[in-house]
Amino acid sequence: MNDNKSLFSAGASVARGNLRYIVWFYLLNLLLGWLGASGLGTHAHSIMDHSLYSDKLLHGFNPAVLIELLNRPEFGPMKSSTMPSLFFGILFLLSSLTFMPGVLLGYSSDHRISRDEFFRACGRNLWRFVRLFVMAAIVVGITLGLLSAAFEFLAKAADNTNYERLPFFTHLAGWTIMLLALTKIRLWFDLAQTDVVLSDQNAVRKSLGFGFRAMRKNRVRLLGTYVLIALVGLVVLVGGIVLWNMIVPSSSVFGAFLVSQFMLLLLLAIRFWQRAAAVALYVKEMAEPVVEVAPVVAAIVVAQ
Amino acid sequence: MSFSCRRLGLFLLFSGSLPALAQTPAAVSIPTTTSAINSATPMSQRVVHYEIDAKYNAKNHTVDADETLTYHNLTGQPLDTFPFHLYLNAFQPTSTWLREGKREGTRNQDFEKWDPKSYGASEIKSFEVVGQGDLTSQVQFIHPDDDNKDDRTVVQVHLPKPIPVDGYVQFKIKFRDQFPKTLERTGWDRDSIVGGQWFPKVGLWIHGAWNCHQFHAYTEFFADFGVYDVKLTVPQNEVVGASGIQVSDVSNSDGTRTVAYHGDDIHDFAWTASPHYKIVDDTFNGSMGPVKIRVLLHPGHMFLAERHTRIVHQTMDHFDRWYGPYPYKTLTVVDTEPGSQAFGMEYPTFITGGASWFDPEGSLSEPEGVVEHEFGHQYWYGMVATNEFEDAWMDEGINQYTEAKIMDSIFGKSTSIFNNLWGMSVGEDDGDRLFMLPVADLDPMTRKGWKFADSDSYGGITYGKTAVVLLTLESIIGEDTMRQAMHTYFMRYRFTHPVPEDFLKTIEEVSGKDLRWYFSQAVYGAQVLDFRVLKVSNVPVDWYKEDLKEKKGETEYISNAWIHRKGDFVIPVDLEIKFDNGESLREHWDGQDRWVRYQYQKKAKIESVEIDPDHKIQFDRNNFDNSYVVKANPAPASKIVHYWEFISQFLAQVATWWLV
Repeated sequence: MNDNKSLFSAGASVARGNLRYIVWFYLLNLLLGWLGASGLGTHAHSIMDHSLYSDKLLHGFNPAVLIELLNRPEFGPMKSSTMPSLFFGILFLLSSLTFMPGVLLGYSSDHRISRDEFFRACGRNLWRFVRLFVMAAIVVGITLGLLSAAFEFLAKAADNTNYERLPFFTHLAGWTIMLLALTKIRLWFDLAQTDVVLSDQNAVRKSLGFGFRAMRKNRVRLLGTYVLIALVGLVVLVGGIVLWNMIVPSSSVFGAFLVSQFMLLLLLAIRFWQRAAAVALYVKEMAEPVVEVAPVVAAIVVAQ
Repeated sequence: MSFSCRRLGLFLLFSGSLPALAQTPAAVSIPTTTSAINSATPMSQRVVHYEIDAKYNAKNHTVDADETLTYHNLTGQPLDTFPFHLYLNAFQPTSTWLREGKREGTRNQDFEKWDPKSYGASEIKSFEVVGQGDLTSQVQFIHPDDDNKDDRTVVQVHLPKPIPVDGYVQFKIKFRDQFPKTLERTGWDRDSIVGGQWFPKVGLWIHGAWNCHQFHAYTEFFADFGVYDVKLTVPQNEVVGASGIQVSDVSNSDGTRTVAYHGDDIHDFAWTASPHYKIVDDTFNGSMGPVKIRVLLHPGHMFLAERHTRIVHQTMDHFDRWYGPYPYKTLTVVDTEPGSQAFGMEYPTFITGGASWFDPEGSLSEPEGVVEHEFGHQYWYGMVATNEFEDAWMDEGINQYTEAKIMDSIFGKSTSIFNNLWGMSVGEDDGDRLFMLPVADLDPMTRKGWKFADSDSYGGITYGKTAVVLLTLESIIGEDTMRQAMHTYFMRYRFTHPVPEDFLKTIEEVSGKDLRWYFSQAVYGAQVLDFRVLKVSNVPVDWYKEDLKEKKGETEYISNAWIHRKGDFVIPVDLEIKFDNGESLREHWDGQDRWVRYQYQKKAKIESVEIDPDHKIQFDRNNFDNSYVVKANPAPASKIVHYWEFISQFLAQVATWWLV
């Protein structure tokens, strides 16, 4: 528990010391989100700006009016509004993939790394990270597929019982287990990514091996830390939505924007916190063997 | 499509080979009982008396039954041919119901793959006509609506001796039902069952012909009024509910019990059984007497008992005050198996609803909406027994309209579906309009049920369009007049089978207005109503002066507003023009031409133009262009964009969280 706490706070301390990464990534997320939504904005403004009917979506929120809006021919097909967001969402993912090595280097360093060091780390590790990304996607895909099939089967069985809530709880349990499995996979790959960057490892399979071993060795501590941080994220998400609903008047566009964006900023920070915790563990892990190996090397020297 | 034996009768008459008329069996008549209604005399012209003794096998979901049907020939001519519905045969792969369903969609079932559990059947084991012998071999499947020889939902039997005018005939039928896993609101789910459309039911003679349609993908039913005496034998542990009043409940030595029901002046009989139902009893004191309400709830839904009884009371009270009395002594409300396709359905004095363990107070579609809707059918279907095959709008649509009126009255006009549920509010009229919009120009309301373009059009027009057409009609003739017209229609046509013109003429009569211009477009036509503000201009009178400096309140403008009728539906409409000095003007346009321009010369500019400012017209296809505000207000669109931006940013973060 104390270990968990230390990793939890060590991660927080590392993330707090490098807030600029969170801010940059958030700004990138915001910019790409805005670009993605601009197509929808053009359509929406052209239909709504001069109409009194739009008020039904401003003061209060009438989903029937929203559906009517989305189905207007002049709004265009939904695809033309949603595809840009999808593309810019993918762009955010790829950008994160590209710049994450620099972040991990920054997190492991006891000083503020230079811009050169940051980008050099990004460039040097780009292809390695792409490979890890593909592997992560395959592992996540297979795991999700198997678990979904298993839980779908269970949910169907639950549906045949007379206990109405059982299918819901089966699904809930399924999602929880899937999230835990995904968290574990993410943890494994986070450690592998950290190893790739900090040991300049070109053979990503070795980093994956390292990540797997480190994860197994610290499974309770690390998984506990990740889950604890994720729970903080859940509290932020639920609390943010409740606050949004309770304190922001439905007609306050700016208020809604502020609350929603603050929520997104915090969620991003939560993920970086997990990353920082993994880096803190890695640094600790790498330090420990040095202490153990040194006497062996000395013994060899003596033998010679 | 109806079919007739009249021609056959005439042929036989003129060919000189008319067989001897059948003698009415001794002591046969239709009972004049009134034990199930709060009336000393029968309320309908009773044509049929069904006596059914049914044994339910809960394990196999089968029913073995003996049916005695007494039919009173009130058609005004001898009858020698009788058609019967066998609705459960619709649930077979080659039936018309399923073929249409594959083509156009059924209620909640896509039939991508045939599931043997969907199989249903009604098999006639023997068919005897009292005094005329065993006619089992004479029973033939017919398909009056299409050329599907594999459809087995209607049978016909030809009698050796015609039944004379005002004579009686008694059919003794043994049949076996196999219920499907619930389809079209009938069948089993887990260990519960709702038995609807489950017995051989004679067609209805109307307008000189038999009306006995096949079971189609989204049509409903049509039958004669009469008396029902039904005995249901079920396993001892089952809790049973059914149409009519319960008259006995006897335990049998074989571990079963037999529950008997009696119904007066009803035209169908449905039942349900489940070992899990919890019973909640209540009483409503209506203007014709007390009504015993029985709610059969699932154990996990007991927390919804009060919501069920409250909405039943509120609905019955509104119907009683607005449209007329509910004469039956009972109403059974069934909370169907969770997740089942049984959900909401109407049968005389017996309705099914649906609820979930997660039904927040702010979501009124269930149980409130569905219970209100199905109770409404006690009036528009149950008592005003229109032809659901051919005039579906007269039961579903009129009922949807009264649902909107009553739900709005109870829960508020803009909050009768979602009442500030997580910040969202939706009213019944919003829902109805939305239902109609995608299919507004596909079919007229008067299309026969199975001839709509597809299931979306059937639903959108029959339910959605009818409701908004009647809501708009109400704004034309006035709310009180409309209510009076509905009351008159109900009281005049209850326990009969009115046709569309009966309803429309009643409205014209009560309102004292010629409304043909409206009915021809809205009811019989598929014209689309769509107005828009085409453009607005404000030009200074002294526009040509080089030194012109516009000043609010001093500069004089020539302002114009153009209104365009885009759709083919012609209807008069009001307009409101607001100026930037606070002045507001009302105009009335007859809507006859395609467009109209209004011009004003004032020391003020037009600030906004709104078509139909009182929102009387409910079925304009595009409400966004019904107004024009000169100064743009980007806030509503910005709100939508911010919401979308939030969602897309969040999803991008989630994907990145797990993959990078």
